[in-house]
Amino acid sequence: MAVAPTVISATGTHRSVAALASSQRVLLVIWALFWSIMAMVAVQEQLKNSHVRWWEPLLWEGSSCAVATCWMLLQRRAKRRYAQYLDQPLRWFWYQARWLPLLIVTFVGGIYSIRHGVYALTSETYEHWPWPYIFVYEGFKVVMFTGLWLGIIFGFDSFELWQAQRRHLLELQKTLAEAQLSQLKAQLRPHFFFNALNTISALMHVDVERADRLLARLGDLLRASLQTSDQELTSLREELRTLELFVQIMQERFADRVSLAWNIDPRALDRKIPVMLLQPLLENAFKHGVERSVGPVNIAVSANLEGESLIVAISNTGSTLASGYRYGVGLTNCRERLNVIYDGQAALELTSDPGGVTAKVTLPELKS
Amino acid sequence: MRVLIADDESPARDKLQRWLGEQADIDVVARSEDGLQAAAAIEELRPDVAYLDIQMPGLNGLEVAAQLEQDTAPLIVFVTAFDEHAVKAFDLNAVDYLLKPYDKDRLLRSLIRVRDRLGSTESRASAVTTARGQTNSSDRLLVPEGERLQLIDSTSIDWLEADDNYVRVHTAQRVYMLRRTLQDLLSQLGEQRFARIHKSAAVNISAISSFTPLFKGDYEVQMRTGQVLRLSRRFKDALFARMGR
Repeated sequence: MAVAPTVISATGTHRSVAALASSQRVLLVIWALFWSIMAMVAVQEQLKNSHVRWWEPLLWEGSSCAVATCWMLLQRRAKRRYAQYLDQPLRWFWYQARWLPLLIVTFVGGIYSIRHGVYALTSETYEHWPWPYIFVYEGFKVVMFTGLWLGIIFGFDSFELWQAQRRHLLELQKTLAEAQLSQLKAQLRPHFFFNALNTISALMHVDVERADRLLARLGDLLRASLQTSDQELTSLREELRTLELFVQIMQERFADRVSLAWNIDPRALDRKIPVMLLQPLLENAFKHGVERSVGPVNIAVSANLEGESLIVAISNTGSTLASGYRYGVGLTNCRERLNVIYDGQAALELTSDPGGVTAKVTLPELKS
Repeated sequence: MRVLIADDESPARDKLQRWLGEQADIDVVARSEDGLQAAAAIEELRPDVAYLDIQMPGLNGLEVAAQLEQDTAPLIVFVTAFDEHAVKAFDLNAVDYLLKPYDKDRLLRSLIRVRDRLGSTESRASAVTTARGQTNSSDRLLVPEGERLQLIDSTSIDWLEADDNYVRVHTAQRVYMLRRTLQDLLSQLGEQRFARIHKSAAVNISAISSFTPLFKGDYEVQMRTGQVLRLSRRFKDALFARMGR
């Protein structure tokens, strides 16, 4: 009965530990519970036996518990080393089981040394079965309980791994969602839209028809931007139509400061290209060329077939690339998309000469 | 009330002009299409109020404000399409800002604020100071070049010389005349690079080549250009301390 308080306190700890939600601590508590029960059962069994004093079963179980705990601690220390095999249970169990012979020898040696020692201290002798029998008997027990505990440990470690992977996955999803959001934001370009709205609000007072047309263009453009996520490819014809919407709005804003030249090979019009690929390039031409220059700026858009490849170039006067310039969000997005869609076969290059800047996209034919 | 409008987009200028022009007490004295034009017009016409678009070629609206003289600057209302981070730095008591697209009510509210502050030199000074903090205005200086204005690199300036209501800005190539006080110019260019050598002159510290002692604790300063200036004993200690002598 002397062990009863241990059980209660262990249960008490169990509750507070569950709140901590650390699977390792839960494992520790189960370990303590297990040994408490083992001790209790042993004491109860021997109570009827008048030859055995009360402390003897406690010593037997205690010595087993001490050696087993050492091995348990060793196993926990090596947890990381075996974690990689958690998704291959047989292999995991096999690697652990290879320690069994050493475990049996040290376990039997350990517990019997302790028991003999303690009995010797009380000037008595510890009597037990002959050694060969002991090794078979204890060895069988060790294999059984090791199997049980490896099962429990496997459960706990797998759970921990699953939790970690889940957390990782959630973080990954969050990062991905953020990236998508920032891409969407980049597409919606607040500066452009607010400025366009202001232009419409100004035009309304002088030319209602024109303001109305501009509003419709802006709506079309917004719709085209939002459709981007639905489809990956579109025809060059469609993409150029979107560019024209954008240009019409920009020409309202910067009427006399920009002139556009289109040089499109009609044979190229039906070629498939990634949707909204050219838009950021044309925006850059406006942003760096038109919006930052005082004088008039020329922008040229050309599309040609060269062998199998479609070459689209957008160039602007009025700006040059600063030495050591870096790709902005727009260009980086374009490049990444091209890499994914064309498997590294497409190219996007920026070149600069005193006359201005050219963005050139080379797209191989997509084999579908 | 004399008002200047600066925006690089003509519809945006028209919109401001239309509504401001309806006000009986407002006279739109200039419509500028870029930052340099705006700065030149402010210098020449000295308007009471400037509606400055932030996104402009040449010099953006914030940079225009940063190049103005604190005490004589017009009241500023920034106009912008986007809630720029920089704009939030301004104290609303000093500067109002309109977010595009704005309606007539919002514009009229900005006028109420402007009229309230018309007599306040504090608002003007604090607007210019904040604009200087938000731009790298200590690196570049706007100077008159014939009829126009241009930006020069402040490292190219050798020294500054106060002369009545003007400051002469000496560079290796030529001398520019600015209608500003030396004090204000020094506060824009930053005390890092420039130091006073006497009451009416300041030097670019990196343009000094050597010192020669004179009587009574005064010194002569030899410049990299070969020019010789006088360092009065009043400013000697401060200058030597900064040069680590």
